[in-house]
Amino acid sequence: MRYIPSTKEQQEEMLKAIGVTSFKQLIDSIPDSVKLKRKLNIPSALSEFELDDKISMISQKNVNFQKFKPLVGAGAYRHFIPEAQKALLQRQEFWTCYTPYQPELSQGTLQSMFEYQSYIARLTKMEVVVPSIFDGASASAEAILMSLRLTHKNKIIVSTLIHPHYLETIKTYLAPHNIIIEEISSENGLTSLEKLKQSIDNDTACILVQSPNFFGGIESIKTFSEIAHQKDILLIQVITESMSLGLLKSPGDMGADIVVGNTQSFGLELDFGGPHNAFLATRKKYIRQIPGRIAGETTDKNGKRCFVMTFRAREQDIRREKATSNICTNHNLNVIASNIYLSLMGTEGLYQYSLLNAKKAHYFEKKLLETGKFVTKYKYPYFNEFLITYKGKDMERLKKVLIDNGFVPPLLIQKFYSDTPLQNTLLFAITEIFSRNELDSICNLLSQ
Amino acid sequence: MKLIFEKSIPGRVSFSLPDDLFEDIKIEDILPADFIEKDKKNLSEVSEVDVVRHFTKLSKYNYGVDDGLYPLGSCTMKYNPRINEKMAALNNFTKAHPFAPTELVQGSLEVMFELNKLLCEITGMDQFTMAPASGAHGELTGILIMRKYFLDQGQNRHKILIPDSAHGTNPASAAMGAFDVVEIKSNENGTVDIDALSKAMDEQTVGLMLTNPNTVGLYDEGIEQIEKIIHGKGGLLYYDGANLNASLGILRPGDTGFDIVHLNLHKTFSTPHGGGGPGSGVIGVKSNLIPYLPTPLVDFNPENNMYIFKEAGTKSIGMIRSFWGNFSVLVKTLCWILSLGPEHLYQASRNSIINANYVLTKLKDYYKPAYDRFCGHECTLTGREYKKYGIKTLQIAKRLMDYGYHPPTIYFPHFEPYADETIMIEPPESEGKEILDSFINVMIKISQEAKENPEILNSAPHVTPVSQTDDVLAVKQAILTYDDEIKNNDKLNYSDENINF
Repeated sequence: MRYIPSTKEQQEEMLKAIGVTSFKQLIDSIPDSVKLKRKLNIPSALSEFELDDKISMISQKNVNFQKFKPLVGAGAYRHFIPEAQKALLQRQEFWTCYTPYQPELSQGTLQSMFEYQSYIARLTKMEVVVPSIFDGASASAEAILMSLRLTHKNKIIVSTLIHPHYLETIKTYLAPHNIIIEEISSENGLTSLEKLKQSIDNDTACILVQSPNFFGGIESIKTFSEIAHQKDILLIQVITESMSLGLLKSPGDMGADIVVGNTQSFGLELDFGGPHNAFLATRKKYIRQIPGRIAGETTDKNGKRCFVMTFRAREQDIRREKATSNICTNHNLNVIASNIYLSLMGTEGLYQYSLLNAKKAHYFEKKLLETGKFVTKYKYPYFNEFLITYKGKDMERLKKVLIDNGFVPPLLIQKFYSDTPLQNTLLFAITEIFSRNELDSICNLLSQ
Repeated sequence: MKLIFEKSIPGRVSFSLPDDLFEDIKIEDILPADFIEKDKKNLSEVSEVDVVRHFTKLSKYNYGVDDGLYPLGSCTMKYNPRINEKMAALNNFTKAHPFAPTELVQGSLEVMFELNKLLCEITGMDQFTMAPASGAHGELTGILIMRKYFLDQGQNRHKILIPDSAHGTNPASAAMGAFDVVEIKSNENGTVDIDALSKAMDEQTVGLMLTNPNTVGLYDEGIEQIEKIIHGKGGLLYYDGANLNASLGILRPGDTGFDIVHLNLHKTFSTPHGGGGPGSGVIGVKSNLIPYLPTPLVDFNPENNMYIFKEAGTKSIGMIRSFWGNFSVLVKTLCWILSLGPEHLYQASRNSIINANYVLTKLKDYYKPAYDRFCGHECTLTGREYKKYGIKTLQIAKRLMDYGYHPPTIYFPHFEPYADETIMIEPPESEGKEILDSFINVMIKISQEAKENPEILNSAPHVTPVSQTDDVLAVKQAILTYDDEIKNNDKLNYSDENINF
């Protein structure tokens, strides 16, 4: 077997050196009654070329996604990924290593974490950045648990316009903890400030709001933070579309206390939903309560600048049941991926790309309305994702037309909001990958 | 080495744009000025060549499995096959949107469906969820399943049993489930103390989280009694699959009475560790717990031959993440299992066990084993006899770097009197005998150096890009971003001259 180098002879030599006559003696401590007495009933081994054929065939049961562009986002966005990033990620030193427990052999990973923390701190205007929690949903739940530790209160307020999977995940994480979760409904595509004001009280630990929200609308984070801070409530801003950070005002400047950002848009593949990555950013005064791993600068014995994992006294391998989180393995390779991506984009590139996202999405909305087949759902400011209602009745036909022409259809939003009138309303996401011609031709298709 | 920010030169770019920048659309017409940042967010300004050289150089400051032996105990740092990477990177997989209609993603769903079947057979469980993103995330999922299961029975059990040898994630996950952790001491054999377990298990307790072989690398010979004690009081047995690499085709957690298992696909199943992830911590359960799994599950509809997503129902613990799972990791896992087949899966475990026992045998006269008995796929030695020469185990690890090896896991597990100053070595099946022989020789040489020339250990490592790091200073300075560094510039005790390009 090509992945098991020791030959039969070498294995025998080792057994002899150990002082046993057969392998079975080594596993004597396993009671006979529980040993498997047959071969595993799975297909026999494939050669590499058979495997290549088999898996390639399975992949072809998907449509050709290189050509099939998604008109849907909803927490996962198809953006362009520069080839240099993909090539650099091929370097085995980045992906065959593990958590940088030994800093002397892990400066590549650690410095990359530090650089990424620096980028995200600048984009969010926050001071501390945990570079990797699994995804936006789990990071949102971690942010709420952090706010509960910081405030010792027992109620949280969540906007219903956060990603439905995030809301589900938050409920799952909080189920054991006897916490009141109050959901704030929406008004005209934005979280209702009136309802929010009615809900806050002295028991409230945090308000969690997504902006741009699940409908695409940009929330007034400044207003939220003013309301929250009057009652010493922490404001958590969630971002699913990190590309928006290139253009929109920074959460930190608007008063957010904790920012959770899903960073799939920063150079990560869609990968059918994972692995993506999320950061959790906050203020320095809260550092003892952050979950997960963080890199910090120090010097080595010779006075040379270097990086280590730091503020480790919060972590599970040291604090066990008193840790701030159980997180150990995270999505650190995606930190390096996003760090390379942001380095390639740079100051000007991220700005230009996010500008293009906003412009193309607004151009497309205008064109859709011009077909006469669509009507505006809400008048709200949005970045690259928006709701629009189809005037026709036959949604199946609309879906089929798009698929037949090589597009992944937009999301029918109603299924996530049974109590809001959203019939025939679609959530479109338009990124930089669409040309004007493509956008025009999609509108043509939908106007027929 | 310089930071990317220190290489930034105003005006440099490494991105490209199309001609059509939609200049007919004015940003001030589409977004209120209140929402838009006045100045561009300052990142860095470098050329593509700068980026490629920067990260190529950074990569050289890392040590990976492809560089050599990486015997980190309980982490299973085995070879990551290249073909698996290629398969997971197929465009049809990587560019599949998670909300694409299921008829467009039949291949992706087939991967998840087929992998479930294989993992069930390998572990003896009845159904897996592919959702958990890591081992600890799987533990949390398992903990929440246990909690919900007992609530449904009308039982409010609030305690959970965890051996002192368990990974730190076990008690941390249990705490996230709001359970009180009761620690079970190990006995003189390094395994679960049956009497202590028997006394601790009661009807207020949900069950036991167990790693088998455990983190010292030992199979629990009392597994049958353990099963009877836990199930006897109506509890559930949770299997931490971190060490499954010692069990493929040898024993199946499902056959030993485990009700819930998590598997670290990035350990036993060869998917890369990625400098700390992404991995995957899929959870398998027995049939009575299937209704509690996170939603959704992949199913097959024989009527139209289509794979579908099936909602898990009202008993489900709910979602534990967005979307469906760490999909690319699942593809790599499927590839590995199909490449090995039943015979080589068994051989993988057999060879990892032989490797660990070989290292144990050859080194036990130099580094006292925590327990002098055969081990599973990893062995736990100690460095305690070198304390009298002024050598900490940490320095043995650092000296190994000078000889070109990544150190084993050190100081874990830790429980006295048997397991302190531990050196946990896991030489997976992808390491050949001659590699182990050189490692063994180096370890013996270091043991001599410890006695004869302790200074060379205390000053190690000598050949790495940086030498011993000052962890205390890192906390004291709290420099966590480049902007922190700029602010503290006058206080820092290094100069530009000793930073290489």
